[in-house]
Amino acid sequence: MQTFILALYVLIWPLISLAVLGVIGLATLNDIRAARRDKRELV
Amino acid sequence: MNNENFYQFSTLTVLALLVFFYGGTYLLTLLIKEKKENTDAFMVSNHQIGFGLGAASMTATWIWAASFYAAATSGYTYGISGPLHYGLWGALMILFIYPFGRRFRELAPNAHTLGELIHARHGASSQLILASSNILGSIISLMVNFTASGALVSVLSPLSFQAGVVIAGVGVLSYTLWSGFRASVLTDFAQLMAMMAIAILIIPAVMFALGGPATLSDGMSLLTPEQANLFSMDAILNQGAPFFVAVLAYAIGNQTISQRLFAVREDHIKPTFITATIGYGAIVIGLGMIGLMALMTGMEPINGDMNNLIPQMVSMYLSPVFIGLFFILVIGSLSSTADSDLSAMSAIVMADVYGKNIAKNKPDPTKMLFIGRLTMIVATLIGVILASFSMDILIMLVFVGALWGAIVFPVIASCFWNRVTNTAFTSAVLAGLVMFCIARFELVPMAGLMAGLFELLASVGGGVVLGLMAFGFCGRRVGLIVGALSALVLAYFCVGFLRDYTVLLASLMAYGVSTIVCIGVSLMSSSKFDFAQIDQDVINYDPVKPATQV
Repeated sequence: MQTFILALYVLIWPLISLAVLGVIGLATLNDIRAARRDKRELV
Repeated sequence: MNNENFYQFSTLTVLALLVFFYGGTYLLTLLIKEKKENTDAFMVSNHQIGFGLGAASMTATWIWAASFYAAATSGYTYGISGPLHYGLWGALMILFIYPFGRRFRELAPNAHTLGELIHARHGASSQLILASSNILGSIISLMVNFTASGALVSVLSPLSFQAGVVIAGVGVLSYTLWSGFRASVLTDFAQLMAMMAIAILIIPAVMFALGGPATLSDGMSLLTPEQANLFSMDAILNQGAPFFVAVLAYAIGNQTISQRLFAVREDHIKPTFITATIGYGAIVIGLGMIGLMALMTGMEPINGDMNNLIPQMVSMYLSPVFIGLFFILVIGSLSSTADSDLSAMSAIVMADVYGKNIAKNKPDPTKMLFIGRLTMIVATLIGVILASFSMDILIMLVFVGALWGAIVFPVIASCFWNRVTNTAFTSAVLAGLVMFCIARFELVPMAGLMAGLFELLASVGGGVVLGLMAFGFCGRRVGLIVGALSALVLAYFCVGFLRDYTVLLASLMAYGVSTIVCIGVSLMSSSKFDFAQIDQDVINYDPVKPATQV
């Protein structure tokens, strides 16, 4: 049990990072589409 | 440094990695480069940054090279709870400032710096306190980041420390100089994507290279009872609480954060800051786990230097490909923070110094851009020189942190309470700073009645921190109740106890004293400020060129 909890405690952070990576990536794609649609600069 | 203990890249390989990183980043900025940049876009991208880029930029800026090393050090020193006491509090502070950030945007939708808002609210002296503290803070940050580059290059390759410093300085300046903040935001996105991807790979790679979860379980026997305790008081009092108080001050006072606050589209502030909170926490706590794993395997840092922990672990247990990825991870983190510092300093000199105090709100946009770019060049030169000669100016960071701690309450109160005056703001900050120094450097004997008085003032400071957090999310009434109750509870526990924790005592004193003085001096005046004036005084400087492309 302790082994599982320790492994989870270490590995949960890269998993959360992966989820955030996905969210930011998708949101940025939306930003790019919105900028093209509105004919304005992305930044 | 015993370089034989670290993996060594050849000169050619390390130069190729640096050219790949800085060359790629520079090429990326060519996508947005314009022959004549707009002044407002140069400082805040015309306040139109979307959620994805905003969240990426916030996260990348908040993570600097020291984040990894400090989180790993915390894990190695305090055990199980160590990485949390570095990463979690740093992350929560990003979340904490967003309710106040929304108020800043509401009051001054066209602002480029927090100093402009304070200038409109109070005048030049309060604004210049903020501006000067930010310039000093950013110079120190630049020096620290360039130093990290020099150290990394010298440890992992035959190149010298100075070569690493100069390459980082020239590399960061080259891609930031022309487009300023726009380049910083765009490259932050690419750098963060790389950093996250590498962190996602490296953390499990280290764990499985050590022998997997079973090795960690066996390693628990090497931990002291305090290190094995998730709720270790030692970790809370020596790492978590002082860091929590310090980063709150950094979040409110630092222009790199407020610049993004003014740049993100107003309706995207909340999701941007929530995502950055989670992203920062996950990456930094995750990399802090490498320090914990080092502790669990009984590893000793070379020369007793905790900054060697992560490079040592990576060198000992991972293949050269992963070491190369780690190299990019550190260079990416330090570069994203350094370019944000350059953008922040240029905006401060452009808007706070030139725009408000020299041109009196009627600046020449061309001259303004020139001043911004010149600021970047001078700041890089100073950063490179300080780093190259390894000058010990980190003590200045203590003063900057204290100054920002003393600023937090006056800044927030100035944006919500119409009775705060310029005298109240300035005297509160100065009083907070003086009392911080007395406590931090123990200029009076920390015993007897004096120590008790300091502990009471620090308890007020603790109440202020918790009260402001409650106020931000739940409103004035809850904030006041939480603040008052927290101060009372803390006073009960702190008197006779907190004097042994000088850093925490001094930091909380800065909050407590500045709050008491700010409220006291404000109540002595009957003047009431009209917040609508701020929007009239804080303007866009270069409105001729429209933000949209035809």
